[in-house]
Amino acid sequence: MAFKLFKRDKKKACVVGLDGVPHSLLTSLIQQGVMPNTQRIVQCGVLRSMTVTLPEISSVSWSTFMTAKNPGEHGIFGFTDLKEHSYELRFPSFRDLKTDTIWDRLGRAGLQSIVINQPSTYPAREIPGVLIAGFVAIDLMRAVYPRKYMALLTRCGYQVDIDTAACRDNPRQLFSELASLLECRQTVTDELWKKEDWHLMEVVITGTDRLHHFAWDAYEDAAHPHHGDFLDYYRQVDAFIGHIHDRFVADGGNDNFFLLSDHGFCGTQLEVYINTLLEENGFLSFEGDEGLESISADSRAFALDPARIYIHRKDRYPRGGVDESDVPSIKRALTSMFEAVTHDSTGDKIVRRVFDGGEVYSGPHAHQGPDLLLIPKNGYDLKGRVGAKTVVGERRLQGMHTWDDAFFYSGRQDLLSATEELTIFDVPGKVLRSLDVDA
Amino acid sequence: MKGFTLWFTGLPCSGKSTLARKVEETLLERGVNVEVLDGDEVRENLSKGLGFSKEDRDTNIRRIGYVCKLLSRNGGVAVAAAISPYKAIRDEIREQHQRFVEVYVKAPIDVLKDRDVKGMYKRALAGEIKHFTGVSDPYEEPDKPEIIVETDKETVDESTHKIIRTLELMTYIPGVDAESEYSDEEEEKIKRRLKDLGYI
Repeated sequence: MAFKLFKRDKKKACVVGLDGVPHSLLTSLIQQGVMPNTQRIVQCGVLRSMTVTLPEISSVSWSTFMTAKNPGEHGIFGFTDLKEHSYELRFPSFRDLKTDTIWDRLGRAGLQSIVINQPSTYPAREIPGVLIAGFVAIDLMRAVYPRKYMALLTRCGYQVDIDTAACRDNPRQLFSELASLLECRQTVTDELWKKEDWHLMEVVITGTDRLHHFAWDAYEDAAHPHHGDFLDYYRQVDAFIGHIHDRFVADGGNDNFFLLSDHGFCGTQLEVYINTLLEENGFLSFEGDEGLESISADSRAFALDPARIYIHRKDRYPRGGVDESDVPSIKRALTSMFEAVTHDSTGDKIVRRVFDGGEVYSGPHAHQGPDLLLIPKNGYDLKGRVGAKTVVGERRLQGMHTWDDAFFYSGRQDLLSATEELTIFDVPGKVLRSLDVDA
Repeated sequence: MKGFTLWFTGLPCSGKSTLARKVEETLLERGVNVEVLDGDEVRENLSKGLGFSKEDRDTNIRRIGYVCKLLSRNGGVAVAAAISPYKAIRDEIREQHQRFVEVYVKAPIDVLKDRDVKGMYKRALAGEIKHFTGVSDPYEEPDKPEIIVETDKETVDESTHKIIRTLELMTYIPGVDAESEYSDEEEEKIKRRLKDLGYI
């Protein structure tokens, strides 16, 4: 196939997603000289911190990015949900997305997208271009559209993710798998770059999120035996960013180069079990040990991960007993309770902010979302686990997500106003506008 | 789905490799596990060192046939694209298979000479290449191939469609249908991954 030059009549844009990379970490690593390519790139545009949609997890954030809609419109509120009129967990997939994607919109404008390792796009479906789904993709065959690219992925030894179970307590394997995963991601990106005519190239690095979950302490402690490994992985990420950017520029690309993360990260000190807290405060009780399936009829609220609070409504749940008219007063009572929760040892207020779902979500599916959402003080990882004996427990992972320390970099300075307070909801519109497509 | 072998045979430059790759893409789209054994590639590894005498050609084809047999009996689709000029050896390979589909990739030699970008036909006709099938070595056409594609008259897409449609009619491959969302096994794996990362 002949080498393709960019057609001058159609603009191009390139987006690199860095899953779970905080603005504070990125700027710190740039200042330390760990990410010289990124430093060189961000000097040409605007780098800002941003908040993300709630809850602050990848499935929700990336669904917002890929649709330019809030969860009340796109319908993804978490990695888990309850089956309709049931307490049984289900795992929303790409097929639960209730609205079209920015790639569909670009397609209607005659523009093709190549999307690599985009979380929450499994099972892959047809888009105008190429889609290789990311987390939680299980079967690579169903993660690829068009499937003809299976042959390429197989040849490259492509994998969606590291072996999380094996890497969690094995730092040597973690760093080894992270490095090889990024290598194969780059190989596939390079191959698709030259094989396809495209207008939007989007590739997401998810190894950063895995690294932070399993080894955030290696970053915070310079004497940690894997501190150097942590920085080396970021050097590899930086080389990847530099490679993609320079190729984009060399191929005739312009300032339409974007970087973003889907949430921030910080170290975990303790886990906090919201359902146990609800039990202790009389909002929740169980009649057995089957998890939520054993919820009692007089329970007024329960939580799903990470900190989504649902009122136990009569018309929504099999044993729900709360009338719609009582919902506002229960929300107020819950909010007061959450805002007052402190950690016995430190005196820290555990919940930093309580959001009302009715205020943060809008759209035809907003009623399916949680009634309240909690943002913790950094370090207190809120969990929806049922059955914990105490409200506070030992951490099982090193790092946790944060809501307000994600980042966005735009090579196009004109797309951000000087005072604009960014959320991830704003980002896809800017990418679309960079390609002269209405947001 | 049970495995089978799809065997492309035909003169040099008739389009065997192109069609094999196109069929591979289509089968992958259908979620079918498929592996292509291309004659040129096989001669670089599995049959490295073999020449083009009849004996060496037979050895090469037997090796490809053997790998195809292993792949297909384990549920995969083995696609072979090799000149495989001798009928007796092709029939021998067929005998070793439970499910074998022969595709004769047919085109007149004059068309192939024009199509030959590497100039091999020209060099063979000039006597520079010995044992060149169709010029200085024979090609024995199949008697009853399951499929005949005529690449001088059909486009690549038309030939591919003909092959895929025949495989569907033979019920060797499933038709295009809707897939379920998550299987129980997938759901368990998803649950484990979410637990590993503290999301549930």
